[in-house]
Amino acid sequence: MSDAATMTTDLAPIVDTLAAAQRARGQLVIRGGGSVLERLPPTDAEVLSTAELTGVIDHRPEDLVITVRAGTPVEELSALLATHGQECPIEPLAGHGSTVGGRLATALAGPRQLQAGRVRDWVLRVRLVTGDGRVVTAGGVTVKDVTGYDLCRLATGSWGTVGVIAEVTLKLRPIPTTSAWFTTDRPASRVLAELYRPAAVVSTDEGLFVRLEEHPDDVVAQAAAVGLVAAVAPTLPTTARAAVDPSRLAELTSWAQAAAIPYAGFVGVGVCLLDGDPDALVAAGARAAELGGRLLVLDAGATTLPMRPPPEDPMSERVRAALDPQQILLDVRRPR
Amino acid sequence: MHPTSGTRPRRDLQPTAAESALLTDLGRVLGEDGLRTSALSRATYRRDASFLNADPLAIALPSTREQLAAVLRACRDHGVPFTPRAAGTGLAGGATPTGVGGVRPLVISVARMDRLLELDAANRRAHVEPGLVNARLGRAAAAHGLRFAPDPASQIAATLGGNVATNAGGIHVLTYGVMSQHVLAVELMDADGVVHLLDGRLPEQAGLDLRGVSVGGEGTLGIVVGAWLRLLPAPQAIGTLLAGFHTLEAAAATVGALVTSDRLPDAVELMDARAIALVEDYAQAGYPTDAAAVLLLEYEGLPAGVSAGVDTAARMAAEHGATQVVRAADAGQRARIWKGRKAVAGAIAKQAPDFFLQDVVVPRSRLGEMLDAVVAIGERENLIILNVVHAGDGNLHPFVLFDRREEGVLDRVFAAGHDIVTTALALDGTVTGEHGVGIEKRDFLSQIYTEDALAVQQAVRTAMEPSGLANPDKVLPTTVGCLEARMVPEGAWV
Ligand SMILES: Cc1cc2nc3c(=O)[nH]c(=O)nc-3n(C[C@H](O)[C@H](O)[C@H](O)COP(=O)(O)OP(=O)(O)OC[C@H]3O[C@@H](n4cnc5c(N)ncnc54)[C@H](O)[C@@H]3O)c2cc1C
Ligand SMILES: Cc1cc2nc3c(=O)[nH]c(=O)nc-3n(C[C@H](O)[C@H](O)[C@H](O)COP(=O)(O)OP(=O)(O)OC[C@H]3O[C@@H](n4cnc5c(N)ncnc54)[C@H](O)[C@@H]3O)c2cc1C
Repeated sequence: MSDAATMTTDLAPIVDTLAAAQRARGQLVIRGGGSVLERLPPTDAEVLSTAELTGVIDHRPEDLVITVRAGTPVEELSALLATHGQECPIEPLAGHGSTVGGRLATALAGPRQLQAGRVRDWVLRVRLVTGDGRVVTAGGVTVKDVTGYDLCRLATGSWGTVGVIAEVTLKLRPIPTTSAWFTTDRPASRVLAELYRPAAVVSTDEGLFVRLEEHPDDVVAQAAAVGLVAAVAPTLPTTARAAVDPSRLAELTSWAQAAAIPYAGFVGVGVCLLDGDPDALVAAGARAAELGGRLLVLDAGATTLPMRPPPEDPMSERVRAALDPQQILLDVRRPR
Repeated sequence: MHPTSGTRPRRDLQPTAAESALLTDLGRVLGEDGLRTSALSRATYRRDASFLNADPLAIALPSTREQLAAVLRACRDHGVPFTPRAAGTGLAGGATPTGVGGVRPLVISVARMDRLLELDAANRRAHVEPGLVNARLGRAAAAHGLRFAPDPASQIAATLGGNVATNAGGIHVLTYGVMSQHVLAVELMDADGVVHLLDGRLPEQAGLDLRGVSVGGEGTLGIVVGAWLRLLPAPQAIGTLLAGFHTLEAAAATVGALVTSDRLPDAVELMDARAIALVEDYAQAGYPTDAAAVLLLEYEGLPAGVSAGVDTAARMAAEHGATQVVRAADAGQRARIWKGRKAVAGAIAKQAPDFFLQDVVVPRSRLGEMLDAVVAIGERENLIILNVVHAGDGNLHPFVLFDRREEGVLDRVFAAGHDIVTTALALDGTVTGEHGVGIEKRDFLSQIYTEDALAVQQAVRTAMEPSGLANPDKVLPTTVGCLEARMVPEGAWV
């Protein structure tokens, strides 16, 4: 995968599709791997797919950066990086075919965000085609860049509502020398306090799981100090995810335990993945709301609940209108 | 590329009717103690730590959010722009009170809003007011076994609001990241005095990440009145290493090797021979004075990983021909090694009356080339330039030393600064890594961004700050108004 560094992406088809939608006053939904979209009810909107937008543009292992087209499957990226002993810990969900662009657009991160940070922390540069068809690059290939407003952050987590993410430059790091999952009977809060920066602490209906990523001797010493027992990785529910203040997570997980709903709460983070029938999810949504949080339902097949519509503040509305004045980009979380 | 000496500041002019009306309103809100209008006060707030200076209308020093909101509403009602300011250690002219179209802005200092509102040790976060000094949060966190990772060299003076507004960097960016990664939420006050909580306490965003846009907004998007910051546990072990090299290339090549090794160092600083000589003379940090460059390396975390990292670094430095490798045996030796790095600004102040500090970034693999280029630029312009580099990030801080009394020296200084920036751009780098755009780098943006990209940047700015009164002529190149900043260092104002 040593495509020339100078290789550019032909964005004309995307610009044309956006222009056509503008003329027709229609709506578009951007589609990456479809791992989220496929589980949502179909819409009338025309699909703008990034399936053709694949491949590595420039990989510089010595600079710890890689630039790829947004339609590149996350798994392909991870496999390539692994051959160089590197990773970008934005966590592919195995077998789901999700794309780098989709990862950025949804900004949903897994349990390793406790130590590795969120998706947004790994994005150095984005090439975006705005809803009104302007091609914009923000950020750079260097790890620090404060030249102008940080539109990389704006694109990350935008759920396809400000433009099409076309190219992405990601920050990389060496794969940790050792990584292993453990389990323990100790309370989650104690484990989090006693371990030095664990990679993940996950509270599930099958017990508490801990992931350590350190020098092998440190992994052994930490595990012994806290009484961790080797385990396989926990299985993560995929139907819905709740987000609460990390200080309220234990209240949500004990509620799920009592309600006999499969759950995986990211301790220290505040995200909780849940499975369950429609009634259970309605109850989970109510419980999350009581705790000041919210629930995002990602599988329409499992429930008649809509995805949680994000509350829109006037400032976000204005920013969105500045980039997509005709609102041709559909927010899949708020079907019209 | 640099703003030329513009019109004389309107120091002696009487305030216009609108200005007088504003001052009357402000006096009512702030009292005598909170509003400064004298020539001496205005002189004190003419500039930040750059050379760019201009005359403000007055200085408002609100102590509370309510006062600040009233100040902002008064500016809005009288159509007077404002320049947010904190400690004034910025190096790009961001806090310099330049006006647009002959209107002098009001400087709004948040220095008095400096409380640590909450330190939530259990959940490792802190809620701060903008005027809180970075190092003070560090000390408060340390009492709980925690730390605040962003550590700009100016941390004993610079504020957290200023760090948010500039997306500051520091010594430990390589593994901990820049300021933005440590900002959970921003409370941004708009020109109507309304506070917007950008991103909240939840771990997943609901709308757009306007928090991320506001970080690095340089006072053009509103005033940061509060921030929720992430704290981290203090490391259990720290390993520090000092390595001397005969050539800059060898030091730069060592950095490249370290960055691709299986454990990243947490800090990689490089200083060249001129910087070494200067700080040794001043601070006696124990750097080898016969070296062309030294690397200061640090590994943090758990004991085995740290000692393996230090071993690897020592081996790699030796493989690249290091002449001397010293491992800090204890906290005292570690502090001594860092003392040299931290003494740079003080040492320079002793050596030369003036310095001009640049801030450019290149991909790490181009570091050697960039350092060579800086040396050549110094020779060509007949200037002393010393290099202090956040090498792990490819972020160079060339210090150009001079004496402003020397005839024509400023032209050479600015020419050198300009060449350093264009060289970085040619090496696929960028014009500023951490100091910001302010006024100093503003015109370079037209070289970096396409017209469409600039238009989108402007559109996002207007959407977030529709009044146009917040630090109006900063960050984006303007087409309107005349710039009233003066690049000339002022010698006679205090
Ligand atoms: C309950 C649940 C939990 C999950 N947890 C994790 C996890 O822990 N870790 C993990 O790695 N993954 C997780 N995922 C999967 C992951 O978040 C998404 O499925 C995936 O990243 C989306 O990628 P995609 O290419 O399939 O996007 P799609 O399903 O095609 O699109 C998803 C959204 O992104 C937008 N979008 C896609 N591509 C672009 C683009 N190029 N530009 C602009 N907008 C675009 C779409 O418009 C849509 O709004 C989870 C999924 C579910 C359902
Ligand atoms: C010796 C020295 C070393 C330095 N080292 C570093 C370093 O290692 N890393 C680094 O990143 N920087 C460094 N700097 C630059 C400077 O310290 C940083 O930019 C710092 O973040 C500025 O903070 P301040 O409180 O001084 O802000 P100021 O200089 O007062 O303001 C800086 C900018 O932020 C805006 N601003 C300030 N407060 C607010 C607010 N509350 N709301 C909205 N806007 C606001 C101002 O309008 C201005 O545009 C250094 C400076 C010096 C002099």
